[in-house]
Amino acid sequence: MRISKNLYSYYLIMPALLIYVLFFVLPTVVGLFYSFTDWRLDRESVHFNGWYNFHTIFSDETLLKALRNTIVFAIVTVIGKNLFGLVLAVALNMKLKTRNALRAIFYSPSILSIMVIGIVFTPMLRADGAINKLFEAVGLGSLTQAWLTNPAIVIFTIAVISIWQSAGFQMAIYLAGLQSISKEYYEAATIDGAGSWKSFRHITLPLLLPAININVMLTLIGGLKVFSEVFVLTGGGPGNASQVVGTIILRSFGEGSWGLGTAMNTLLFIVVTIISIPLLLYIRRKEVSE
Amino acid sequence: MINKWIKPSALLLASALAISLTACGSNNANNAVGSDHGASESASSGSAKGEKVTIELAISKSSQDYAFIKEELLKQFEDQTNIHVNVQMLPSEQVTTVLQTKLAVGEAPDLVPYNLASAVNDLNLERNFEILDDQPWVSRLLNKDVLSAYGHVYGFQLSQDAGIQGVVYNKDIFKDLNISIPKNYDELVAAAEKIKASGITPIYMPFKDMWATNIWMGSAFADYVSKNDPTFWDDLNANKKKWTDMPEFANIIDKQYQLYKKGLTNSDVLSDSYDMASGKFINKEVAMMFMGDWFINDLASKAPDLHLGLFPIPYAEDAKMGASPVGGQLFIPKKAKHMEEAKKFLEFLASKDVAQKIVNANKFVSNFNDVTTPELPEYKKEIVDNYITPKKTVVTSDAFMLVDISEEYRYYQDIFAGGKTPQQALEAWQKKFAQLMKDKGAAGF
Repeated sequence: MRISKNLYSYYLIMPALLIYVLFFVLPTVVGLFYSFTDWRLDRESVHFNGWYNFHTIFSDETLLKALRNTIVFAIVTVIGKNLFGLVLAVALNMKLKTRNALRAIFYSPSILSIMVIGIVFTPMLRADGAINKLFEAVGLGSLTQAWLTNPAIVIFTIAVISIWQSAGFQMAIYLAGLQSISKEYYEAATIDGAGSWKSFRHITLPLLLPAININVMLTLIGGLKVFSEVFVLTGGGPGNASQVVGTIILRSFGEGSWGLGTAMNTLLFIVVTIISIPLLLYIRRKEVSE
Repeated sequence: MINKWIKPSALLLASALAISLTACGSNNANNAVGSDHGASESASSGSAKGEKVTIELAISKSSQDYAFIKEELLKQFEDQTNIHVNVQMLPSEQVTTVLQTKLAVGEAPDLVPYNLASAVNDLNLERNFEILDDQPWVSRLLNKDVLSAYGHVYGFQLSQDAGIQGVVYNKDIFKDLNISIPKNYDELVAAAEKIKASGITPIYMPFKDMWATNIWMGSAFADYVSKNDPTFWDDLNANKKKWTDMPEFANIIDKQYQLYKKGLTNSDVLSDSYDMASGKFINKEVAMMFMGDWFINDLASKAPDLHLGLFPIPYAEDAKMGASPVGGQLFIPKKAKHMEEAKKFLEFLASKDVAQKIVNANKFVSNFNDVTTPELPEYKKEIVDNYITPKKTVVTSDAFMLVDISEEYRYYQDIFAGGKTPQQALEAWQKKFAQLMKDKGAAGF
């Protein structure tokens, strides 16, 4: 009886496991193998070249810049998306008449295709575009910028657009978390004389940690894997000012350096793993059960 | 106890399944190839007996107006030879990748239309494509060079009309302001200043598209090299010389940049793109752009009353017009399954009557000695009379490159973003170029 029950559960995971192994584990292992080779479009055979690809990555100014940009983008978006998402969620968890409409409005950017966002924002962010005109109209002419063509700020511009797009999604997860917190805690705290900040700090935040955990992980991994925002808005330009690891991988493949592109991919995989697993463990330790 | 073996056995089962699946896949592939071979054998022997053979031609979806795949043309060919040409449309943005993959795994189509220079770079022309030197039509070619690489004819095309690059200009604006075609850099600056004074943007730089930064350099470098160091490109590709060994290159790059610094261009060059150029020219907002004659051709139907012309990049006195290699040649992969039939298709296209009909319909500059060039549009006639016939053209520098050069464009773009000086851009490109050549396995790197 026990045996067949156990086997039964294995039958069920088999299809998913098979697909996972075939389309994820296998390519990852094969990719790891190819990142140590000189695999190229114009070579008949593939040879091991040791650490050459990784050496190339760490001695190439552009590739290092892409790595730096990726980390900057990830940090800025993790902070921005979670902060705005949390503020929106707390605000829209209150009893407002327009609550549902506002929730829908703030969520709506995240259902837009990134192509649409690129087409809408590119003209707005021109030196003579709507955003700068707005600044001039309200007397903040000194803040006008070449948002997408100034190498010093372009990666931040892209990060802000990404925050605008997905803060609503983070809000939805936080809202779900907030609604699972029992009202009794707040009532008890009010009786004990706690103000709204104290209730937030000592009740909301600890009980929201599972939602924070998932949001931070999602935004962090998404941030490190950034590609489409950069590709659509600047293509990595001007020059190489906004290159990220994702766009560099595409470039390596375009140049025919498949081995190098795969090595970049492996590196990205390692970076994501190294950063996210300790963070995951750290936040999970802080979680409390209700 | 039982639990202990369930885990490993489940894993084993999974991997066994995975292996058997892949094995199935390769088995099927083998079978497919095998049966295809069988089919091709019987087909080629069959064609002699009058059985129908189908040959594959793979082309980018964006090239669906390509002159050699018109339906009636293919039908005429089929009626004459009983060979059916099946046109496969490939998604435009994936053409290169799809073709690379097909060539790599030996699933090549029988005919591939491509650009010769790009075929050298992207598709490894020498390894993957058939040399056509011994084909009957080769002896009738007027200009064999436009179809040749490594000293052999690889491509087929009826036209010898290269993409001509220089300065596209609005003739009416020039006439109204009484400006003659600038013959050197100072005259260009003077003309631009005069145009600016009249309230029109003199030069439009669509440098959001990074490739557009290179039109000036592509022609100017080539002209300078052809006059001062004709073996430079060969030496560069053999690592005997470097990009930075030509001090004039940095000057040439800087000359384009200075036009922007002097305020003779659109103000936001890095935000403006090539697809905005048509509108700017149609509305007469701009007078000049460094571009190719394809731009004039595209606009001819959209704005018939717009008079555009082309003159050479005036980076120095007496510069020649830049000519990029002829596009849209047909190539036959070495691994084509129907080699003979594919060659027959080229013979058919080259036959005098068929060729004349295609050349007339497309207003080609004929590349065959027994096919006459039809009446050309005005701008093209001027280019042919003033530059092509007197041989005042020079093949642009890109055509000599053996590796992907888009990184070069990025460094040029960076100059306009304030990130690099022309000299720094050249140094950075030399470094990247050497890396790309080394990775490619080029001798000397």
